[in-house]
Amino acid sequence: MQHRMIRRSGPLAAMAAGVVALAGCAQGDVPQSTMDPKGEYAQTIFNLSWPVFLIAGVIGVVVFAIIGVLIVRFRERPGHEETPKQVHGKPTLEIALTVLPAVLLAAIAVPTVNVLFDINAEPEDALVVNVTGQQWWWEFDYPSITGDDGLPLVTANEMVIPAGQQVRLNITSRDVIHSFWIPKLNGKRDAVPGRVHTWNLHADDPGEYWGQCTEYCGLSHTNMRMRVIALTSADYERWVAQQKTDARAAEDEAAALGEAQFKSLCASCHQVDGLKDAEGEQIVAQPQTQVYNGAAPNLTHLMSRGTFVSSNFDLLRPDCRLERDDLSVNDPEAFSAAYVEGTSVECLNKTQLEAWLRDPPAIFPMFVDPTQLEATDGKYRGMPNLNLTETQIDQLVSYLQTLK
Amino acid sequence: MAIVEQPSGPLALRGPSTVTPDVAYGVFRRPVATSGWKSWLFTIDHKKIGIMYGATALFFFLVGGIEALLIRLQLAQPDGKLLSADTYNQMFTMHATTMVFLVIMPMAAAFGNYLVPLQIGARDVAFPRLNSFGFWAFFFGGVFLNLSWFMGGAPDGGWFAYAPNTGVPFSPTHGMDFWVLALQITGLASLSGAINLIVTILNMRAPGMSLMRMPIFSWMILVVQFLLVFAIPVITVALVLLNFQRLFGATFFSVDAGADPLLWQHLFWIFGHPEVYILVLPSFGIVSEVLPVFSRKPLFGYPFVVFSGAAIGFMGWGVWAHHMFASGLGPVSVAVFTLSTMFIAVPTGVKIINWIMTMWGGRLVFTTAMLFAIGLIVEFTIGGLSGVTHAISPSDTQQTDTYYIVAHFHYVLFGGAIFGIFAGFYFWWPKIFGRMLSEKLGKWNFWLMVIGMNGTFGPMHIVGLEGQSRRNYRVIPGMGVSFWNMVETISSLILAVGVLLFVINVVRTNLRPRTAPLDPWDARTLEWMTASPPKDHNFDSIPAVHSIDEFFHRKYEEDEETGDFTKIATAEEILAEQEAHADAHMHLPSPSYWPMVLAFGLPVVAIGLIYNIVISVAGALIIILGVYGWVQEPSVADDSDYGPPGDATKELAAVE
Repeated sequence: MQHRMIRRSGPLAAMAAGVVALAGCAQGDVPQSTMDPKGEYAQTIFNLSWPVFLIAGVIGVVVFAIIGVLIVRFRERPGHEETPKQVHGKPTLEIALTVLPAVLLAAIAVPTVNVLFDINAEPEDALVVNVTGQQWWWEFDYPSITGDDGLPLVTANEMVIPAGQQVRLNITSRDVIHSFWIPKLNGKRDAVPGRVHTWNLHADDPGEYWGQCTEYCGLSHTNMRMRVIALTSADYERWVAQQKTDARAAEDEAAALGEAQFKSLCASCHQVDGLKDAEGEQIVAQPQTQVYNGAAPNLTHLMSRGTFVSSNFDLLRPDCRLERDDLSVNDPEAFSAAYVEGTSVECLNKTQLEAWLRDPPAIFPMFVDPTQLEATDGKYRGMPNLNLTETQIDQLVSYLQTLK
Repeated sequence: MAIVEQPSGPLALRGPSTVTPDVAYGVFRRPVATSGWKSWLFTIDHKKIGIMYGATALFFFLVGGIEALLIRLQLAQPDGKLLSADTYNQMFTMHATTMVFLVIMPMAAAFGNYLVPLQIGARDVAFPRLNSFGFWAFFFGGVFLNLSWFMGGAPDGGWFAYAPNTGVPFSPTHGMDFWVLALQITGLASLSGAINLIVTILNMRAPGMSLMRMPIFSWMILVVQFLLVFAIPVITVALVLLNFQRLFGATFFSVDAGADPLLWQHLFWIFGHPEVYILVLPSFGIVSEVLPVFSRKPLFGYPFVVFSGAAIGFMGWGVWAHHMFASGLGPVSVAVFTLSTMFIAVPTGVKIINWIMTMWGGRLVFTTAMLFAIGLIVEFTIGGLSGVTHAISPSDTQQTDTYYIVAHFHYVLFGGAIFGIFAGFYFWWPKIFGRMLSEKLGKWNFWLMVIGMNGTFGPMHIVGLEGQSRRNYRVIPGMGVSFWNMVETISSLILAVGVLLFVINVVRTNLRPRTAPLDPWDARTLEWMTASPPKDHNFDSIPAVHSIDEFFHRKYEEDEETGDFTKIATAEEILAEQEAHADAHMHLPSPSYWPMVLAFGLPVVAIGLIYNIVISVAGALIIILGVYGWVQEPSVADDSDYGPPGDATKELAAVE
C-alpha cells in the first residue's frame, strides 16, 4: 500500500510541473487559454501567476514527499507492538512552521497588490469602448467615433481595436449580470446593470481573440460568446471609415425583395443605418416594444464581421474560416487586411445563415415561447421563430449579404 | 424510553433498564413505542436522530451524485445532447444546493449529534425535542426542495442565485421560490441544531473535562455551530429579500428602482464563505480523531489545532469578497480581501502540519478510515494550494468562473469534507451499529474514490486554465478541451462505482453482520468507553475526566521514568467497572410527536406562499398546534408517573 501512495504523489508532482510547462507552450488551438497571453494585461497577470503556481507546486511536492516517507517509515510492522512515544507537540516547531508560510505569503502579497493597482489604472490616450451585455449577446459602441448623425459607432459581438494601442472599456449590462472576458488579452470584469465598471484591453499583434460571458446569465449563458479583433492601425482606420457609412439600397432584384422582407419582418428590432421607409425616412428600430431588455444587434455592417449570433456561428464557409484562422496565427498583418475586406459573397456560409433564419430558438436556446412570456409582459428574451418560408429565407439572405 | 432506572432487588444485576411513560398530556398521549418505526419517528434520542440525519443525507448524496453524473455525461463530448440547456441549468443548481445543504451540512449534524454527547460524557443534548425538530425541518425542507422537479421545474439560478437573474422575469418558473423557501426551512434546522449543540457542549461536559480536554472533533463542531449561529441569519435576510422580490413584487434587487445587484452578492457571500468552513471543519475534526488512533499517538499540537480552528472561524468572516474579485469592487476593496484571503491559508496550513506531525514517529495502521484520513490530507492540500493561487486577485480574474475554480472547491469539498465523512463512516460504524464494515471492500471503496476523484477533478485545473467556463450546458467545440472532458466523465463513473461499493458494504454488513469488538481500533476518546451501540442513556455512570485522551489513559499506564506506556486494562474491563458503579436514577427525555408536527407545518406554509395563501393558513394552524402541544408537554415524564425513584415495580411487571 505504501508503494501505491508513493506512486500517487508522482502524477501530482508531474501535474504541477505540467501546468508550468504547458504555460510555455504555444496554445494556438486553445483559443481561450489563459496561459498564452497576447497583450500587456494578460502578460502582466501571467507573469504574476506562474511563479505562484511554481511555489504552490513545490510546496505540494514537498508535502506529498513527507507523507510518502512517513507512510513507509512509520507503518506498523509485524512484531512491532510497543506504544509509540506519546508526543503532544513542539511549540517552537509549530510557531516556526506558522511564521514561515506567513512570511512567504507576505512576500507574494507585495507584487500582487502592485499588479492589482497597475492593471486597474486608467491608461493614457486610450481608445474608449463602451461594452454592454444583455441576454445573450454583447454590444460595443465607440463614443469617440461618431457618424454624420452624431451617434456613436455601434457594433455587436466583435469588438475591433487597433493592435498595440490601449483600450479603455466601460462595462455595463441591460438586464442581468454578465462578465466580459477575453482570456488572451486580460482577466474578466462583470457587467452589472446600473453600474459602469472600467477595465483595460491591449493586444500586441493583429489577430482574433476569443472570449465568452463568464457570469451565469440564464438559459443561453454558454452561447454568449464574443471576439476581439485587433487590426493594424491602417486597417483599423479603414474599418472605422467603412463602419461610418450607411447601408446602400439593394441593387439586384433578389436583394430588393429581401430588403422589403427585412423592413416588414426584421427592421422593427434590428437597426440598419441607411434603411429608408416609403417616405425616404430612416427606419428607426424599436426593439424595446418586443424585447425585454430593449435591445437587438445592429446589422448595418453584418458582413464586415466573421461570425454572427454572439459569435456562435460562422459567417465564413469552413474552408474560408480555416484560411482566416491560419492567417490569424501565422501572418497577423495579412489577417488584418483580410478581416477588413469582410465576408465576401463567395465565402458566405449560406447554410448556416439559412438555418438560423429557419428556426433561431432551435439552434440557440432562448425564452421566446409566446405561452411563457407572462413574466416579461409578453416580451421576448431572444429572437423568436418567425416561421419564414424558404422563399423568404432566400430573399433575406440575398439582402443580408449586401450589408457590408 | 424515558426514565432509566437502576432497579433494586432481584433485578439489580441486570443493569439499568428503560421505563416508558403511558400517561397522556391533554388529549394526546405521548408516543410510547420503544421499537419499530414509531420509535424512530418520534424519538428525541440524539443517537437515533444522528442516524436519521446520516441516512437522509446519504440518500441525498446519491441524488446529488446522480445529478453530477448527468452533468458529466452531458459534457463527455462537445455539444452533448443528453440534457437541454434549461434542464442542465436546473441540474447544476440542484447538484450544488443538494450537496451543500442536504448532504454535507446534515452529515456534520449526523456526526455532531451522535458523537458530541458521547465524546463529552453526556446522556443527551441539552434540548432533545429541539433536536428532533431540527432533523424534521431538514428532512421536510429537503423533500420540499426536490418537489420542485415535479411542480413545473427545479430552480435554475445557480446555488449562488445572483440577482437580478433570479428575479421572476429571468426565472419565471416556481423553481427559485422552492429554493428560497427550502433554504429558509433547512436554515431553521441548522440554527436550532447549532444553539442546541453550543449549549450542550458548554454546559454538559463530564466532570473534569475542561474545554482544553475536550476531544478535537467536539471542538470543531463547537466552532462550526458558532459559525452557523452568525452565518445563517445573514442568508436568512438575503432570502427574505429575494422572497419578497419574487412573490410580492418588492424591489430590493430591481435596478430600475435604484437597487444595486451587488447587495445580494455581499449578503450571500458573507454567509457563503463561513459556510465553506461550516462544511469542512467537521471533517477536519473527524480526521483529527482518526489520525491519532491509527498512529497510536496523541494529536500533535492539540492547542494549535484548536486555536487554528477558532482562527479560521474568525478570519472566515473577513474574506467573503474574494468570491467577487471580478465584480467590479474597485482595487482598494479587492486589495484588502486579497490580503485577508492569503492569510487565512496560514491557520489552514497549521492543521496540515499538525496532522503530518501526528503521524510522524507513530505506528501507522492503514485501516480504511486511516486511508480516507490520509487521502483528505493529500487532496485537501491540493485544494488549499490552488486556493492560494486564486487569492492572488489579478490571477483570479483569469480563473474565476472557470473549471479551475470547480477543480479547487471539489478538492476542498470532496477531497476534504466528503473524504472526512467517509473516514468517519468507517471509524465509527462499529460504535454506532456494533458491526464491522468490510475492510476489504472499504479499501476498494477508497482507492476507486481516490482514482475517480483525481481523474474527475484533476484535469479541471487544466481545462479551467485553458479557458473552459463554468455553468456551460455544452462543451464548446474547438476550444481544445474535449479530451480532458472525456477523461473527467470516465473518471466520474469510476468515482460513482467507488461510492456504490460503500452502499454495497453497508447492505452486506446488514445481511451478514459481524459483531464488532468493544474497542476495535484501540481508540482514545470517551465515546468508546461505553457499549457498541451505546445504551439509551450512553453511560451507566458519567466518567470523571483527567486528560485529553481519557479512554487511552485508562487503558495504558505511563512508566514515570522511561515514559513508556503499557496496557493495564481492556475496554471490557473498563466498561464492566462503569456498569458496576451505574447511577441509580437517570432521567432521560421522553419521546414526543410535537417537534415533527411543528416541522411539518413549515413546508405547508411554504407551498401556500407559492400557490395559495389558504394553504399557508392551514400550515400556520399546524405550527400553532405543534407549539401548543410542545409547551403543554413536559420534556421529561414526571416522576409521579412511575412511583418513587428506584421503584422498579413497573419494570418488573414489564419483564414478567
